[in-house]
This record gives sequence, C-alpha cells and structure tokens, in this order.
Amino acid sequence: MEQTITVELNGERRALTVRTDATLLEVLRDGCGLASVRETCGIGICGACTVLVDGVPISSCLLLAPLADGCRITTVEGLSRGDELHPVQRAFIDQMAFQCSYCTPGMVLSAVALLAERPDPSPEEIAEYLAGNLCRCGSYPRILAAISDAARLMRQASR
Amino acid sequence: MIDAVERVTGRIRFSQDASLPGMLHAAAVRSVVPHGRIARVDTAAALEVPGVVAVVTGEDLRRLPGLRPVYGPQIEDQPVVALDRVRYVGDIVALVAAETPRAAQEAAALVTVEYEELPAVFDPLDALEPGAPLLHELEPERPHEGTALYFGIRPQFGTNCCNLFRIRRGDVARGFAEADLVLEETFRTPAIQHVAMEPHAALALWEDGRLTVWSGTQTPFNTRQILAGIFGLPVERVRVVVPPMGGSYGCKVFPRIEPQAALLAYVTGRPVKFVLRRDEEFVTLTRHATVVTIRLGLKRDGRITAREVRAYWNTGAYADCGPDVARKGGFGIVGPYRIPNVAVDSRCVYTNLPPAGAFRGYAVTQATWASESMMDLAADALGLDPLEFRLRNLLRDGETFATGETLHDVHFAECLERAAAAIGWEGPQRRELGDGRVRAKGLAVVMKGMTTPSRSEAKVGVDRSGQVTVYSSTVELGQGARTVLAQLAAEALGVPYQQVRVVDPDTDRTPFDNRTTSSRSTYMMGNAVRQAALALRERLLLAAAQRLEVEPADLELVDGNVRVAGAPASALTFGQLVEATGQEELVEHGEFRNQGGLDPDTGQGIASSHWHQGAGAVEVEVDTRTGKVTILHAHASVYAGQVVNWHTAELQNLGCIVFGVGSALFEELVYDQGQLVNPNLSDYLIPSFLDLPERMTHDLIERPGAEIHGLGETALPPIPAAVGNAVARAIGARVTELPLTPERVLRAIRARDGERG
Ligand code: FES
Ligand code: FES
Repeated sequence: MEQTITVELNGERRALTVRTDATLLEVLRDGCGLASVRETCGIGICGACTVLVDGVPISSCLLLAPLADGCRITTVEGLSRGDELHPVQRAFIDQMAFQCSYCTPGMVLSAVALLAERPDPSPEEIAEYLAGNLCRCGSYPRILAAISDAARLMRQASR
Repeated sequence: MIDAVERVTGRIRFSQDASLPGMLHAAAVRSVVPHGRIARVDTAAALEVPGVVAVVTGEDLRRLPGLRPVYGPQIEDQPVVALDRVRYVGDIVALVAAETPRAAQEAAALVTVEYEELPAVFDPLDALEPGAPLLHELEPERPHEGTALYFGIRPQFGTNCCNLFRIRRGDVARGFAEADLVLEETFRTPAIQHVAMEPHAALALWEDGRLTVWSGTQTPFNTRQILAGIFGLPVERVRVVVPPMGGSYGCKVFPRIEPQAALLAYVTGRPVKFVLRRDEEFVTLTRHATVVTIRLGLKRDGRITAREVRAYWNTGAYADCGPDVARKGGFGIVGPYRIPNVAVDSRCVYTNLPPAGAFRGYAVTQATWASESMMDLAADALGLDPLEFRLRNLLRDGETFATGETLHDVHFAECLERAAAAIGWEGPQRRELGDGRVRAKGLAVVMKGMTTPSRSEAKVGVDRSGQVTVYSSTVELGQGARTVLAQLAAEALGVPYQQVRVVDPDTDRTPFDNRTTSSRSTYMMGNAVRQAALALRERLLLAAAQRLEVEPADLELVDGNVRVAGAPASALTFGQLVEATGQEELVEHGEFRNQGGLDPDTGQGIASSHWHQGAGAVEVEVDTRTGKVTILHAHASVYAGQVVNWHTAELQNLGCIVFGVGSALFEELVYDQGQLVNPNLSDYLIPSFLDLPERMTHDLIERPGAEIHGLGETALPPIPAAVGNAVARAIGARVTELPLTPERVLRAIRARDGERG
C-alpha cells in the first residue's frame, strides 16, 4: 500500500509517495537521497537517524512516514545556506567534535533543537538532552564544548 | 580535519552510501542452532517473493566450478556459505539477492532449513577437554579445505586449539623455588562487540571477469588477496576500493561480507550490495572472551622471580585472526616488567560462538586486565604501595623483555608516574564517605606491540595545476588519517595541508600497505609519505635550480612555489615546474618497513619494532549498598614520541578512555546455549553522554627527535584494569571478571563478609 504525503523538506515543499509501512528514515535516505540520515540501532536508541520534525528532534527510524504528513522536516543538509554553515556546524569544526562523524548530523540537529529551547544550557543540561545521541568514537567531551561554544556565539549574534 | 566540512554537512559518503545502477541487495539466512549438519534447505518459497533474483546455498556454492568455497586470513576455515555444517547461531546458511532490501529480507525469512543438531561447546576450557565436539578437522598438510596458511602458528591437531603460542625464558621452576611467596589467580573477560555505528557494508561488481568491491575495510590488500583466492583469480583481477568508514575499531579488519557480496554478484551478473542489520553485526565479529591464569613468584623486597601464564582465547566458530590475537596477547600478558623466568602458554580455542577477531586494543585489554590486576594483588600481598611496587619492576631503557629483545625509548615509569600524579595518588587512596559510599584510586600500565614485520608504501605527486596528491592505502575510519598524511606531505613540500588531496585507498591506484591496524599508520605510512614527499621536494628543487640557474641549496619551497631564498620575485610555481618536464604529474614513491618476528615455540625474537606505552589512573566511587561504580576521574598518559596533530591525537586518547569505560562497567555479550541474548542497543549498552567519568584527562608525552608512536589504542587497555584495581581497593575484595557490574561488585562484597564472618 502506498500513500502520498506532503512535507516541507529542508525548506522545500515536496509531495512524496511512500509505502504506508515505510519509516521516515527509509523515505529520506533511500527515497530522497539524504545520506546524512543514518541508521545504527533501528530502535530509537542511538540518535544517528535524528531529524527535526517541526523543530523537534525525533528518531526517524521509529516514525512511520505517513505520520509526517503536513510536517516540516529538517535534516543536516537543510541547515547550511550554501557555503554558510550553521553556527553549530561551525562550532563542531572549530572544536573538532567528531572522529568518524557518523553520529555528527544527529548530534548537530539535537544541539540545534536544544539551543532553540534553551539558549544557555549548562553542560549537565547538554548531556541530559543529548543522552539519546550515541557516539561510539567517544567524541563526547568535544561535542559538549562545541555546543557550549555555539550557544555563546548564537547568543552574541542575537544581541 | 581536512574533510571537516564534508563531515558536518553530512556530505561525506561512507561505504553504506555506495550504489550502482541495476544494483541488487543481499540478505543472509542464518543458522538458529549452534552446531549441526544441514539436512535440507528449502528455497522454493523465497524464490517466489517478487523481486528475488537468486538464492544461493552451500549446495549451489559447491557446484560452482573453479571456486574455493572457504577463506580466512590465517586458517582457511570459514565457508562463504555453510557447506554441510553450521557452527554457531548466526552462521550463514544461504544468501539472497533481490531488487530491494525489503524483498531480500522477506525472502531470507522464508528459507527453511532442517538441521541434525550436533553437540556444541561454548567455553574454551570445555572445548579442550578430551572428547569435546570438534569444530574443525585441521590437519598438518591439509588445513581444512584450502591451502596451508599457518604463518608461524601452531594448531594442536585433533583438538579445538587453533594456535598455541609459547614463551619460554629462563626456568620458571627455579624462579618459583627462589620465591618467598607464590600467588595464583584466574581472570576472565567476556565477549564484547565493536558497535561501529556504520554497519559492515560492501558493494561488489563483476565486469569482464574482473571483480571490484567497494567496502569499508581496514584491510584492502588482504581482502583483495582473499577474494582472488576464492574466485581463483590473479590479484590483479580484483580491485578493492575503500571509502571512509563510520567507525570500525577492528570489526572491519579482514573480509567479513565482501566474499558473500562478490558471490551473489558472480551468480547474478549484477552489482550486489550487502549491508548488515544491527543484530547481524553482533554475531559477525566480537572481542575474544578470555580465561587467564597467572602464577607469580615474589621476593619480600618486591622483586618478581617468575611468572607462569595459561591463557585461553575464545575465538568462536572460525579462527579469523584469533591465532595472532593469542600470540600478541601471549606476550602482552607478561607486562612491561623485569622477570627473569617466564613461561606462557597462550591458546586460541574454537567454540560454537560467533567468531572473535581484531578489536581496538587487540588482545591487550584482556591481557592487561589479568596482568595489572595481578600486580595489585601482589603489591597487597607484599604490603607495598602499588605504584612503588610497579616502579621497582618496570623495564627501563636498554633492558630485555621476555621475548629476548632489548627495549629502547622506554617510558613506562614516566607514563605511570604522570598518570598517578594526575589523580592525586599521593593523597588518600581510599576514603569512606559514610552511608556506604567509598572512594578509591587505581592504576594500570600498558605495553602494546605494533604489527611486525610489516610494510607501507606511498606515492606523493604534484600536477600541472600545482595540486599535491597523496596516494596511500591507509583507510580513514575517523582517526584522521587523511589529515595526518596530508600534514606530513605538506610539511615536506611547504604547502598548506588543507590544499593536499588524499586519495581513498584503491588497490588499483594506491600502493601496497599491510593494513590500517595496530596503531601503525601514522608511524609506518607517515614515514612512507614523508619519504615520498621529500623525494618529490628534491625533484622540484633540482628542476627549479636548472631553470633559475642557481644551486638547489639556495632555493626554498613556499606556498606551492620554489623560489630563491632572499629573492622572492625569482620563483616558479609547482605547476610550472611540472609543465616544464612535459609530464602531467610528477610522482615519487616512498617505502617503509619494520623487521622482526617471534619463534612460536619459545616466543623469542622481535615482537615489535617499537612499543606503545601508557598508563591509566582512575578514582572511583563505589556504593557498597548497591554495588554501583561511578568513575569520578579517569586519566590516561600515553607516550607519543612526537605528536603530528594534537587535535586528532587528543581525540584518540579521549575515545580510548570512553571505550575503556564501557568495557570496564557494562559491555558484555550474553549467550544462552550459544544464542546471543542481547543483540541490540537497548540490551547491549555502549557509553552515552551520561556514562562518562566526571573528569577525563590525558597526557601525550613527547621527546624531541623521537619516532612517532601510534595512539589509536594505547589509552584503552589500562582503563578497565585501573577501574578494577580502584574498586578492589574500595571494597577490600577483588572482582576478577569484567565488566564490573553492580551484581558482581555486590557478590564480591558478600563473599568478603562471608569470609570474615
Ligand atoms: S537508528 Fe534511529 S535511533 Fe538508532
Ligand atoms: S564521531 Fe564516530 S560515532 Fe561519533
């Protein structure tokens, strides 16, 4: 069974024909070619498949695509404007907050959502918020530092 | 990192992202019994599934002419598809190729297999008992069905032992006779899994009798050779291309799914992609579970007179590189100490469990767990401070290791002292906080070899646009290889490293390299790249000297130009110089080798051309009512020789500590009659943000002019041992088995109280 859903995907209105039992992960990755959306656990534990749905980070491996009908979806491909990186991405580079970077898109998106909710999070709040994003390379200390830096830069910019 | 933007924008392409037009998707049918004969395989229903193109069984494989159906890096014991027998729950019984991943999975689920079950064995000691079921019938002249591949390994024919590595040095009987005190203890570690976030992924294509495989593998050249062996081709007809990996930590060392993808592509005539599901990852490769017994002879003054070790490495159903793991662990278990009399028997043992192989730390985490726990037991028995006891016995520059080799550039004591200082060892080592909480500190030293002998080659070129390119077969798995190699070439050529291009490993284009393992790349490949870059520098200088009519010594390389020192106007760009030669690209070649090897019967020789050295120190808090262990501070001190890139070096140390925390506190594969109980990330935990030590610190120790020492693994092995030692100090009882779960800690506390009461 298939169904057509309408979404705003990285700022673009799209009509997508999806299997009713397809996950959002499958649709974005295999259907839309967005390779930054990655699967590790497939059961909502690791955060590698994180995307923002109406600004909220969700595990796209758990969400059935038809349920995203009418939603605004952001993947890391939609964060930067051309060559201009999002401040969180900049901070990840400046702090070198990754090794293999498989987890990075999910980490960046969770951080973007966190900073939208709480512009000045403590390290404990960051760790708590990102507890569902795993990094097997163990880049965690640098990720924490990058998110703190990004928060500061974004606060300064919005002043 | 030179590829940082690609990484934060998600544009980087891993092997799981590779695709080709007309590509099929693979799925595997896996055994549900730990040991059995395959009585019947019924593929009819699977073949009915729309989109299914082929189902390949062991029967089919046998019937394909000219194929060698088994492979393995050290012993050819693993069938591409089970031929007549399955040896573990998860063994591949059939392969499916279909138009979509879903169709392939659906069809795989419809293949029915009947087994005649055979007796199975799961524990390495049981597996060595007379009468234990044999997994393989290894024979001296006919190792399984393939050709002899016994590279200095000693299978015990007629048993499940696929390698026995020995060290014999001095006379342990005399050593024990001279001792004032003899201690013996047995230590265990469980199987754990790498959990690389990107699964194994490979894409295979046959074109005009030539096989190309894109795969995230740490071993492109071994993989090429093994694929050529299976398909009866000269190696030149096989090409392996390696995109960057989303983590590996050893799980992508040696072929794992490439033979299966290549077989399906061979049978269907279409490109085939094989990506493992997470539950399949868990049964594809693990870290060896171990049982290690150490006997130690001691003098009252703290000298060690003898050390006897019996080590058992549970390698599961197929040897993979287990024989070598048992060898490296065999000398790793001796530890970096002055011991005149040493006897080690290290056995790699087949059981009906998933195969075990390379894992970050390569045998040394398990070895250090046993050896450094034993050192604390000995210090306690002698009434000596564990730091002081170690310092008295640690090897110093110019001393001889148990293998008979003389060690140089030795920094164990310095690493240990710095680690101890970092956590305030001088202060109280144990403190009770009231309400059952106790804080305590622990230490451990690590000694780890690097693959020896081995060889790395590299090419560095510059083209008419002035673009500098490094051709190297070192794979990028997140360690920053591309960046570090670019830096080394850039340094020699006077260009910004961000402008250097590093070509992904491709056995058709990039020269030979043993493999990207054992923290060897920055040193071995780094030297090869540096050599090639220096040769290219010479060539550019000579060419410029001729055209500018000056001596080469008067020239300098700056920002992609060769110019006369002091007269920057007189300059030629690299591009102009290349053009003047009439060539498209000037390329120079570099090669670096290390030499050595050990006698498998005595363990004497050169184990490693230089040594990775380090120490870990931790402070923990144990809640003695619940058994919960919290790591307050973890520190690793690592000898680096020279640091090439501080960012990536620091990330290696921190990453190792985090890995060590998982291994110390909770990672464990649990089997019930050979069936894995926790093949998913909700039942098998890896460290998250909330599991980190409150403080993580590290040192990188440098020496001017010293050799570069790899850093990819050194900080990992001492962490579990240091945590174990700290917990033992806290509770006054020793947990001898990893991980240090609350249950085990509580059990140790109860046993201690039971003894007292
Ligand atoms: S793949 Fe979706 S949370 Fe892990
Ligand atoms: S950087 Fe490798 S998993 Fe996070």
